[in-house]
Amino acid sequence: MPEYLEATVDKFTFRVATDRYYTGEGLWVKAEGSRVRIGLTDYLQQSSGDVAFAEVRPEGTALAVGDEVAVVETIKVDIGLASPVSGTVTEVNPAMEMGPEVVNSDPYGEGWLAVIEAGNWEADRANLLEPAKYFEIMKRSAEEEAGKQ
Amino acid sequence: MTDGQKVVIVPCSGIGKSYGTVSREAAYDLVDELRPESAQLVALSLLVLGDEAARAAVAASPAVTIDGCKLACATKMVRESGGTVAQDFAVLDVYRRHRDLKPQGIAELNEGGQKLARALAEEVADVVDGLTMPDGEGGEDA
Repeated sequence: MPEYLEATVDKFTFRVATDRYYTGEGLWVKAEGSRVRIGLTDYLQQSSGDVAFAEVRPEGTALAVGDEVAVVETIKVDIGLASPVSGTVTEVNPAMEMGPEVVNSDPYGEGWLAVIEAGNWEADRANLLEPAKYFEIMKRSAEEEAGKQ
Repeated sequence: MTDGQKVVIVPCSGIGKSYGTVSREAAYDLVDELRPESAQLVALSLLVLGDEAARAAVAASPAVTIDGCKLACATKMVRESGGTVAQDFAVLDVYRRHRDLKPQGIAELNEGGQKLARALAEEVADVVDGLTMPDGEGGEDA
């Protein structure tokens, strides 16, 4: 079980797992040997709402950093998610087909989106955020959103 | 159910999202057009307030709830009011079965939202028919 940084803003509590990297847009990236597993952060899933559909690029798809790796449709928005690494999709979470709500119920665990065989992990990792840095960005964003309401 | 008794329909009362609007449109379609003789609306807000007439209505007849999001306020409130939820519908689940009917708009639904509301209303009508047929009483809480 990962440990978490937590921020409570207004009535919402957002968690950031400390065992992985992040993009500023709200994807997490967890290294597993030569592969990385990716998913939506707790903040992104909470702020986007219940997931209706999640379409992930199929296994075998070659990706460059920034290529669209998945599209998630929620009750509020459609989100195109840019790949945080270059490489090839080797696994797509089968739950995305039949029960994408797992993205909401377990964003850092069973709600993962895909596994990518990373082509240049060391270089790509340098552009990702450490948990504490993402936590700062996420908390600021959450506070700004709460201030608008 | 006894003759003349109507199934209670309790839709979402949320604001600001298309899915809540779909739940209410479906409820109106049902009680105004599809099953006016066998279904009646009860306002969720009245149950929240503890209104005696609303509580009596859900206590006397099986209820079908239509929730706009996973908070499931309608379902929870009927149960807390002493009612029996015969079937709970979630708009998102219905949309997953009708992906071509993407709801958009809040004050006024787009065509997809209107059609989704109608599809949902027809599913609820089937449940109402089951409850009002002889020996059709009961439900998941019964």
